[in-house]
Amino acid sequence: MISESHIGRTYPPTAPYAVSAAKVAEFAAALGDGDNPAYGGPDAVAPPTFAVVLSSTAWGAMFDDHELGLSLSRTVHTDQRFSWRRPLRVGDEVTATLRIDKVRARGTSAFITLTVALDAGGERVCDATSTLLHTWPAEDVA
Amino acid sequence: MSTVEPGTVLPALSVAFTRATLVRYAGASTDLNPIHWSERMAHQLGLPTVIAHGMLTMGTALRVVTDWCGDPGRVLSYYVRFTKPVTVDDTDEGSTVTFGGTVTKVENGVATISVEARFDDTKVLGAATAEVRLD
Repeated sequence: MISESHIGRTYPPTAPYAVSAAKVAEFAAALGDGDNPAYGGPDAVAPPTFAVVLSSTAWGAMFDDHELGLSLSRTVHTDQRFSWRRPLRVGDEVTATLRIDKVRARGTSAFITLTVALDAGGERVCDATSTLLHTWPAEDVA
Repeated sequence: MSTVEPGTVLPALSVAFTRATLVRYAGASTDLNPIHWSERMAHQLGLPTVIAHGMLTMGTALRVVTDWCGDPGRVLSYYVRFTKPVTVDDTDEGSTVTFGGTVTKVENGVATISVEARFDDTKVLGAATAEVRLD
């Protein structure tokens, strides 16, 4: 089960993800912002929170780490921070690397803070920091 | 953008989230958690009905900021706490969320904006703050 001893654990970067014009347009439309000219055309950028498409992919490695005993369906997303060095752009090939920053375990639940670093072309583009609240069934903890 | 100062109020935005909005966001974001589309699964977790993705509310709220500053590339940071879920019944009108923003600080060419999101007269995002480059 996850504990403070896992603070600092990192996972290998995800396979490169190519940001496509079609996916950016789909994401902008899903936010009701499909008519925003910034998200189309030859110089299209992605909506800022598109970063979550990449960061949440990196969460998979942590949920697959059996030593931690985490399950996505028992997880609530309690807060989210993004810091951008520049916007994600159509054509970027992005990798996502997850690091566990903080663990506060109490009884049957744990608050886990993790940062996913998004890199494109050898430069940091965005850090996406999330706090998750995970709750175990009481019988698993006893 | 030259007259930006603490107290500057950004134009507000109202958006109705329907089940179709949630399904579309699920596909676009790849967040397929069933609590956003299955009443059965939502009930199992003690929710009255399905709830909007927190990230949908977060992303839609930022439109207040990007519409105002004109260029999404100016956004330097954005933080929210997910304080209350937005429940979405299976109706044509859906759930209307109202979004607003107020400049709280201008320093070194960066404006700090306090973002607000309300549903049913209740704040659904806590401490929501974006930083935007002005120059």
